[in-house]
Amino acid sequence: MIADDITMARLMVMSQRGDRKAYSTLLLECQKWLRRYYSRRIVPHHLDDLVQDTLLSLHKKLASYDPARPFLPWLAAIARYRWVDHLRMVYKADEVEFDEGFAADNPEPAIAARISIERMFAYLPPAQAKAIELVKIEGLSVTEAAVACGQSESLIKVNIHRGLRKLTAMIEKA
Amino acid sequence: MSKPTEFLIAELVDDLQPVGALKMSRGLLVSAGAAVLTMLVVALLFGIRPDIIAGNLHPVFLLATGLFAMLGIAASVTVIVMSRPQVGNDHGGWVWAAAMAGLLPFTALIMGLVKGPVALEQSSISHGLDCLVVGAGLGLIVGTALTLWLRRGAPTSAANAGLLTGIAAGSFGIFAFSFHCQYNDIYHIGLWHSLVVIIAATVGRLIVPSLIRW
Repeated sequence: MIADDITMARLMVMSQRGDRKAYSTLLLECQKWLRRYYSRRIVPHHLDDLVQDTLLSLHKKLASYDPARPFLPWLAAIARYRWVDHLRMVYKADEVEFDEGFAADNPEPAIAARISIERMFAYLPPAQAKAIELVKIEGLSVTEAAVACGQSESLIKVNIHRGLRKLTAMIEKA
Repeated sequence: MSKPTEFLIAELVDDLQPVGALKMSRGLLVSAGAAVLTMLVVALLFGIRPDIIAGNLHPVFLLATGLFAMLGIAASVTVIVMSRPQVGNDHGGWVWAAAMAGLLPFTALIMGLVKGPVALEQSSISHGLDCLVVGAGLGLIVGTALTLWLRRGAPTSAANAGLLTGIAAGSFGIFAFSFHCQYNDIYHIGLWHSLVVIIAATVGRLIVPSLIRW
């Protein structure tokens, strides 16, 4: 069971004041939350790296959280930023098994749906979403993705480039 | 949880130091303080127009400085909002202020097309260049303050944050210098004063992102 927004916000305020015990609990909860948040949107063997990168960013940017505002939308913005950054790195995945979805098993489904990564994808044109999905998430090569979705290789590259640019612009909006 | 993540969390907890949250009110104070400092620099280095001191304010001066001030405020507020990321934030409010300030060069262009070369002669080029250089230079005060603020924050769109920092810097720079510049004609303000904002925005867009990326 992952802590709710109010509990995490309270832990964060204590962490900003320097309370290490609260911070340790907060990071453990964030770690669990992030693993679920990224599930299905990153190949499993990259999940640990991405979660660690995000925790490191959270640590560096502790001051950017305003105690007067909800915690999870802040954490989601940090997580989305790191995720888009991660997608920019080219890699070839050798396993494509995804865990359960984030929104499907969340104690606050309304908030979960609002801040999920899937919501960002919904705003992308289908061709761009598909190209990113196949190459950047499932780890297919550009050639394999071109065959799989019937686009030329250059179009796949253009769609990835444009899609990532749009995702960057939508980190806080969508 | 994997061992490396466990170690990382232990290290981060060890490294924890108390931090002051980036509050909206504090960001506004920083921005307003930088704008006031810019005004002080103009008053001390260049002097304030005699007609303003005498209380004889020209309508074009009031309109133009008002529009630049509004643009500077709108851009600064957006920059401060961007420093504190949150899914659901809206960063688009400044566009309306920019559209309103855009009426200045637009009016100058229309009047220039109607009047022809006479319009350009009315606008002294050498003084226009003074406004351009000094206005942009003055913008460095607000630009630096906002860039330092953004470095503490976590802007998720470095490019937009850079652009808006430049717009805020240029707007406040030329707003402050307008209190020295004695020109009230729309050609001078629409061309040279607007150019300060455009150049500062371009410089901000090109330089600031590399300073605030995280």
